[in-house]
Amino acid sequence: MDNQNNDAVVARRRALAEALKNGQDVVVAPSGEVEFKEEAQADGQSAIQVPSGKLA
Amino acid sequence: MAFYYWYQNDPELYQAEVMAMQKFFPQFKINQLQDGSGRLYWRGKVQPIPGGLTWDVMLIYKNDHPHAGVNEYGGSVQILPISPRLKDIAEQTMPDLIKTYGTYDKCAQRGFGLGLPHIYRENFGRNEEYFICTADPKYFKTNQAHSTSAATALSWACKWMMLCEMWMNGEISDDVALEGNY
Repeated sequence: MDNQNNDAVVARRRALAEALKNGQDVVVAPSGEVEFKEEAQADGQSAIQVPSGKLA
Repeated sequence: MAFYYWYQNDPELYQAEVMAMQKFFPQFKINQLQDGSGRLYWRGKVQPIPGGLTWDVMLIYKNDHPHAGVNEYGGSVQILPISPRLKDIAEQTMPDLIKTYGTYDKCAQRGFGLGLPHIYRENFGRNEEYFICTADPKYFKTNQAHSTSAATALSWACKWMMLCEMWMNGEISDDVALEGNY
């Protein structure tokens, strides 16, 4: 993986970790990738909204 | 006439389950366990985070789907990662947890009794396996108008996989992993 891609992955994971900490709403793309709602809408993907709640 | 299997009792629910999976996770295929239980399952692969693991998972319906008893974590759709296998991961994490918390009992009190946050164990075939606790039973919908589907359970599971990978990689703390907010 080149440095630019690596940086992008690190930044992405950081944003997702923040979303976890803040309990932010996310969706899951068909690949299983956890995404922000706006991104999925922009891509026109049939992403599923993760319902609110808590892990058991 | 009432049947033993949910998919015979409620063919419309079965169709809805299939449609939801085909829409949201088309790479997953449905099949029946070859253990005589008649249970249906989905199997497929997901990669929840960039640069992360690809998980090969089974989503296994209990025969009383949709159902969620008080202690039935994850309701009537059980999520079993085949690869990576949770039991194998937990065996690797437990020594570090014991180092951090001092004793096994303290790990267990903290919520890491099985070596990973939010999992449970159950016999599956001849082995004891570790399953993902996708959601507190109170969030699993079981009424006729809205029941929690395998697709929804998988969306919870993908978020759990993200949480698990980030926790193992030190990107989130034990507190965040145990809090498990969705």
